[in-house]
Amino acid sequence: MTFVTVVSGRARASSGWRGKLRRIELTHPMESFQILLALLAAGCALAIAAALFWPERGWLGRWRSRRRQMQLEDCLKYLHTAELESVPATLPGLSAARRISLSLAAEILLNLERLGFVERKASAIQLTPAGRRRALLVLRAHRLWERYLADETGYRELEWHKQAEKQEHRLTPPELEALAARLQNPTYDPHGDPIPTRAGETPPQSGMPLATAPLDTPLRIAHIEDEPEPTYAELLAVGLSPGMELQVVERSAAQMRIRVGQDEHILRPPVAANLLVEPQPGTGVQAAQARLSDLRVGQRGAVVDIAQGCRRIERRRLQDLGVLPGTVIEAEFASPSSDPVAYRIRGALIALRREQAAHILVDRLEDTRES
Amino acid sequence: MSPSHRGCEGCPVHASANLAKLGVDMNRWDFLVALGGNPNTGKSTVFNALTGLRQHTGNWPGKTVAKAEGGYEFAGRRYKLVDLPGTYSLLATTVDEQIARDFILSGQPDVTVIVVDATRLERNLNLVLQVQEITDRVVVCLNLMDEARRHGLAIDDRQLARDLGVPVVPITARQGVGLDRLIATVAEVASGKLISRPRQIADPQVQEPGQSAERPDQRIDGNRHAQSVEASYAEAARLAGRAVRQAEAQPRFDLDRAIDRVVTSRVWGFPIMLLLLAGVFWVTITGANVPSRLLGTFLLETVHPWLREAAADLGVAAWLRGVLIDGMYLATAWVISVMLPPMAIFFPLFTLLEDFGYLPRIAFNLDTLFKRAGAHGKQSLTMAMGFGCNAAGVISARIIDSPRERLIAILTNNFALCNGRWPTQILIATLFLGALVPARLAGAVSALAVVGVAVLGVGLTFAVSWLLSRTVLRGEVSAFSLELPPYRPPRVLKTLYRSVADRTVYVLWRAIVFALPAGAVIWIVANLQLGGVSLAERLIEMLNPFGLVLGLNGVILLAFVAAIPANEIVIPTILMLTVLVSQLSGVGAGAGVMFQLESGAGTLAILRAGGWTLLTGVNVMLFSLLHNPCSTTIATIYKETGSKRWALVSVLLPLGIGLLLTGLVAQLWRLVAAGLTS
Repeated sequence: MTFVTVVSGRARASSGWRGKLRRIELTHPMESFQILLALLAAGCALAIAAALFWPERGWLGRWRSRRRQMQLEDCLKYLHTAELESVPATLPGLSAARRISLSLAAEILLNLERLGFVERKASAIQLTPAGRRRALLVLRAHRLWERYLADETGYRELEWHKQAEKQEHRLTPPELEALAARLQNPTYDPHGDPIPTRAGETPPQSGMPLATAPLDTPLRIAHIEDEPEPTYAELLAVGLSPGMELQVVERSAAQMRIRVGQDEHILRPPVAANLLVEPQPGTGVQAAQARLSDLRVGQRGAVVDIAQGCRRIERRRLQDLGVLPGTVIEAEFASPSSDPVAYRIRGALIALRREQAAHILVDRLEDTRES
Repeated sequence: MSPSHRGCEGCPVHASANLAKLGVDMNRWDFLVALGGNPNTGKSTVFNALTGLRQHTGNWPGKTVAKAEGGYEFAGRRYKLVDLPGTYSLLATTVDEQIARDFILSGQPDVTVIVVDATRLERNLNLVLQVQEITDRVVVCLNLMDEARRHGLAIDDRQLARDLGVPVVPITARQGVGLDRLIATVAEVASGKLISRPRQIADPQVQEPGQSAERPDQRIDGNRHAQSVEASYAEAARLAGRAVRQAEAQPRFDLDRAIDRVVTSRVWGFPIMLLLLAGVFWVTITGANVPSRLLGTFLLETVHPWLREAAADLGVAAWLRGVLIDGMYLATAWVISVMLPPMAIFFPLFTLLEDFGYLPRIAFNLDTLFKRAGAHGKQSLTMAMGFGCNAAGVISARIIDSPRERLIAILTNNFALCNGRWPTQILIATLFLGALVPARLAGAVSALAVVGVAVLGVGLTFAVSWLLSRTVLRGEVSAFSLELPPYRPPRVLKTLYRSVADRTVYVLWRAIVFALPAGAVIWIVANLQLGGVSLAERLIEMLNPFGLVLGLNGVILLAFVAAIPANEIVIPTILMLTVLVSQLSGVGAGAGVMFQLESGAGTLAILRAGGWTLLTGVNVMLFSLLHNPCSTTIATIYKETGSKRWALVSVLLPLGIGLLLTGLVAQLWRLVAAGLTS
């Protein structure tokens, strides 16, 4: 019965409502109940409007101030980078780098000056110590977040920078410290860049561009620039990561040939320019290192190390399974599609995918065992 | 070679009579014992052997990792046994390791027993040494001694005990050998009679892994972790070398390797796999046929009328009779008779393969396929289990320890056509699709249709896995690991007992819990009169327009809603509702009473009277594959993931796809039909 009433009741409701409104318009005194309802509706509408539009505290106000803060911090970053690279910071430069209009850039600079982060001497724009500290804080947040993404999540390398760009403005100082503690105060981000400490000091960033590195010398990658993204993607595709060892085999105006492990790759100059390297200390024999994935079924290898490109969780799992320097691993058999391969590691049979085995650097051993 | 177990019976310490398995009261105990070890060491066998199958299972507080507790009594004292997750180390990289470490550190067990695989001593000792860093009261339980003997390994447990500084007890849990000595040793350590001086490698990392001030030049990640692992492994290797003697010829070793070469070979690998899986399914279907029918006849045609008469004789009111007997009892009886026989066959077969050690090889062979979909090779196993029962498939996803891949396996498990849906598929395929072709081809065509639907489910599993890994689950951690244990001759009787007790009973119990209220609801809906018409008919009327858009009808939709607790009752409910709505006489057993006919022609007649066409049949098959999981599965998903969000996703995802697909098929069908006739 209720069902029936509801259905037809709904059908009549609209005409009733309109009818009522007509009646209101015809100077019929409103019932107190309707007045109350109207007041309530108006009250609700006002409350919503206040929540949205109240200056400073409303949703719109907060969004605006967040955006302002972002713009300020991004500009500070530009100024800081300019300072590090010893390039004079200019208004047009700022406008071009952050892709904003000249007038907006000028307005932001004015704000920064007022806040005491920036001072203008003659026509030069310089950071004050307070500004430098703030810029370093943002940088710290960015690189810590990238470290977090690399170590504790499954996001791919190409996504780190974009996410860190957003998150660096959102982390409050206490959140930042909690994050640093959780990651055990790392000193370098996954690209090899130093992470500024809380006090504002930056560990040294060493390295020379690949273009000036000596030929045929063992080198290791100190830093991989993650912008622009397509270039970074190219470097990742080659399989490069900070800490890896390589040698420059040949260099010409059009290209550069490098050797990593047993593979050779060709890099274009703009791509190669995004790599910073430093000479590899020690014996330097390791440049041509075989990987576990190079072993065929029946072959054995002695582990030298786990490659730097291996992410933290993966690395720990391999170590826990016994993949440590000196361990002898034998490739016992492969799946029908050749991937994964079953390896005998410390008495146990462990299946590893090709990309996992590629992270394990080994020395080939003589094949004495009959298969 | 220890003179061991044969003398146990005559020994005064042999006290099997003292071993009483405690009930589920975990609140009063004298000593707390933690049970840890690497995965694949037979830890659960030890746990089950000590506590019997009366255990309490739940989750670790705040986590979604399963926790098992049980108890036993020995020499007048009660021991509470806590099963820790299997871990390779204690250095807290994963949730499992954190739980294990935290429990040993702050749970303060009186004794920590580490189950060690005697055939892989070196790897297992790594964990033992790490545990010894944290606690003195350790007992090393050297399990799988029979396997060690088979492989020609001789382990000097006394030497090992001397080197480690803690008691070492060799046992073979599968055969129940050595457990007495283990219990006695645990008692001695717990009461303080036996004091051990565990050997420690004095590495601070295990105790306080949270603190480390990295030096500025330290660019290499994980250096600290590597150092402590290296230290403990070096020591483990040294100790294992002293304790293990390898006998000369190892014929068994080569047998394992030979089997592996064949089973994973390019030529034989896949055929063997397909043959075995097809064999399991075929045995299940044909083997369950007769028992299902017998059970059905007994419960539905003998007990049911008897109950009705008894109730009538007792003077029970008609409506109460209806709800209790025609509704609740009937639904439950239906579920049991359809669900029990296939499961009682499928689960043991599967468990036998698992015991034998073959299942990881399936994951190994198929991994590359799953990798491309962003999933783990072990998902092949959870899918196969899902073909038996989706809830069991979700539980089995525990074998995947990588969080992202585990979630994918859980969320896509519903696309595997579970046992409860096979009768629906087979019936509809036979009635509608088989009828399209000459009689001698009918059987083959309907079988092909059902297989086609199942294959569609598998294809969707891959597609949805790929989608999930690229979108919703993008940031979740992913770490592949697959260990291939050695082959072991399966213990047939123990396996049957364990799989029946563990899986079958659990699923059955849950199904009954949901089927009882479902039966009541169905009966009430069909019999409650509102304005002269039953509630069921009103609902059907409401749902009809929507149903027709999808190529179904209101009856089917209502039946699927009512059958959320159990897929088995879809067809009987459809038949009952069709009879109710079309007011057919001479068929059925009354309003609200589910039924099914032996004769296919009779069933077809009822369905046709309900307005079914070929399109309806096809879409029912599709919708049966692609609708929300049954309530048991949803509850299990919620429990396994610990998150309402994922439970909701698991419901909406297949349902959404199902509605979309059936709607699409219906529209296309009608377009084509219109085009052909115009």
